[in-house]
Amino acid sequence: MKTAETVLQVKGLTKIYKSLFTSAGVKAVDNLNLSIRRGETYSIVGPNGSGKTTTLKILLGLIFPTAGTTSIFGKSISDLSVRERIGFLPEDAYLYDCFNGEELLDFYAGLFGYPKKKRRQLVDELLALVGMQANRKVPFRECSKGMRQRLALAQALVNDPELLILDEPTSGLDPAGRHQMTLLILEMKKRGKTLLLCSHFLAEVEEVCDRVGVMYRGSLVAEGTLQELAGGPTQVRITTDKLQPQAMDAISRMASVVTVEGGAITMGAEATNSSVWTVLEKVNEAGGEVLEVLRPRPTLQDVFVKAIGASAEENQ
Amino acid sequence: MSALLTRLIPLIGLILIAAIIVITRRAWVPALSHSVPSIWRIAGITVAEARRRRVVHTVIILVIVILLSMTFFSYLSPQEQSRMIISSGLTAITVFGILLSIFIAAFLIPHEVETRTIYAILSKPVRRFEFVLGKYVGALIVLAVVTVVMTAVLVVVLLVQARLVPSTPDSVFNPNLGAVLFAAFMNYCALAVLTSLIILISTMTSTTMTVISAFIIWTVGSMQSTFRDLAEKAYGGAKVLLLVIYYVVPKLENFDFRQEAANYMPISIVGGWHAVLLGALYVAIALVIAGIFFNDRQV
Repeated sequence: MKTAETVLQVKGLTKIYKSLFTSAGVKAVDNLNLSIRRGETYSIVGPNGSGKTTTLKILLGLIFPTAGTTSIFGKSISDLSVRERIGFLPEDAYLYDCFNGEELLDFYAGLFGYPKKKRRQLVDELLALVGMQANRKVPFRECSKGMRQRLALAQALVNDPELLILDEPTSGLDPAGRHQMTLLILEMKKRGKTLLLCSHFLAEVEEVCDRVGVMYRGSLVAEGTLQELAGGPTQVRITTDKLQPQAMDAISRMASVVTVEGGAITMGAEATNSSVWTVLEKVNEAGGEVLEVLRPRPTLQDVFVKAIGASAEENQ
Repeated sequence: MSALLTRLIPLIGLILIAAIIVITRRAWVPALSHSVPSIWRIAGITVAEARRRRVVHTVIILVIVILLSMTFFSYLSPQEQSRMIISSGLTAITVFGILLSIFIAAFLIPHEVETRTIYAILSKPVRRFEFVLGKYVGALIVLAVVTVVMTAVLVVVLLVQARLVPSTPDSVFNPNLGAVLFAAFMNYCALAVLTSLIILISTMTSTTMTVISAFIIWTVGSMQSTFRDLAEKAYGGAKVLLLVIYYVVPKLENFDFRQEAANYMPISIVGGWHAVLLGALYVAIALVIAGIFFNDRQV
């Protein structure tokens, strides 16, 4: 099987902010290694101050690393051809506040050297994509947080980038705004774009990402798909109405069953589909009614807490 | 000999820069095809932003009010009236031009960094020196518009007064337009030099520090002959310091032709040309250093 092309590569990335008061400085990123493949949606998650935004700023050439290398499409970010293929949505949508959406998008498209006719067409398309057509003449400073964030996403898309870097795309948005932004991100994913996003909204990350890297104190403490990070199957929980004592006793002796308490049957992580079916049949035979069968996958929240907890323990 | 050498320094410097540009043209000509549109776009947004923020409008209105108020000195003789209008008008243009230059240029780059609007620009195919040059060109355009408007108002006031004020046997209202236009042009050149230095400082420090430094440069630059006189009388470390200030800080007073225009004195075109050449050299050096500093700046 052909391996997908690596779009973004980070090797041994370290960033130390020098301080006047401490000789060692503050280590914001510590020996970070990262690799993102074409078409993948990768998310860096982590608490505030874990080094996510610093990593993005280094990737974009806004700040410079103390050690290590980064490459996008196999080249340095200082190469202009790389910046022609990427889009960046900064956290908290920092755009010129005295211009409206139409003017802003025209300006950013102009930085790619597009002629006026193409710019006009692009502006229309992008405003339609982010649902800002009706508000195209509203000055940025008068836009709501959600409108600002959508405009900021539109400016990141002016060059139809292959790699889209999003820093906290839903930060500060209300639930409706978060939902809209998530839909837009999913649309970008559907269009085949490679996405790198930083977020601490784990639910949204779970919804859109293929792979996740958990950052804590500047290091990547866990990385993989959600399934990989979840670490295999979990216990099965079967909920029934109240069972007779004999039936409970018979079920408790069945393979993989751990506990039977009232209407709650718990089976071990090793339980196979057939062993679960056998238990369900037994419940049926005993005249019980199955209300719910659950094999809950650990949420990203569980993974996140576990990874950070383990890292904190290691550091102690 | 020394005076001749001093006059030749800017010319030699400009010839050197021109030679470097010609020799290295193969390296920069391809890059220029990309850089010029980018610089122009950044300059465009800088001008549009200044227009939207209405700072320029306020300054122009203030200067117009000041210039129009100068028409009320009818108790003076015609020549004194014209002298008063030219002197005060050019002073208003100079002072407001410098204030505008400081407050526009000092905020251009630090404001972009502080409000983080720079992130969306530098993540696009824009080189950092293009950003710096774009900001400088934008500021120059704004200052040019302001200077032209203020000068035009002064010229109109002078022309109208020349028609309204009756001449007396021993005094005539002389608008001295040639000298006024020359002085206004030289004032604009001084603003161009000052703006380049403000941009250079702003690539290294915060807005507040830039504003303070800009005022210091303006003050010192306008008193360079005093510094030269002090250096001649001083000795030891103080002499070295005063000489360094004298040679490093641009001699903004050399761009000042207000006295000549207001007092109908002959204007030294050679002196003006010398100041412009030296100013161009300052601008070139300041922008190159600004580009280098900004290239290494963490934003």
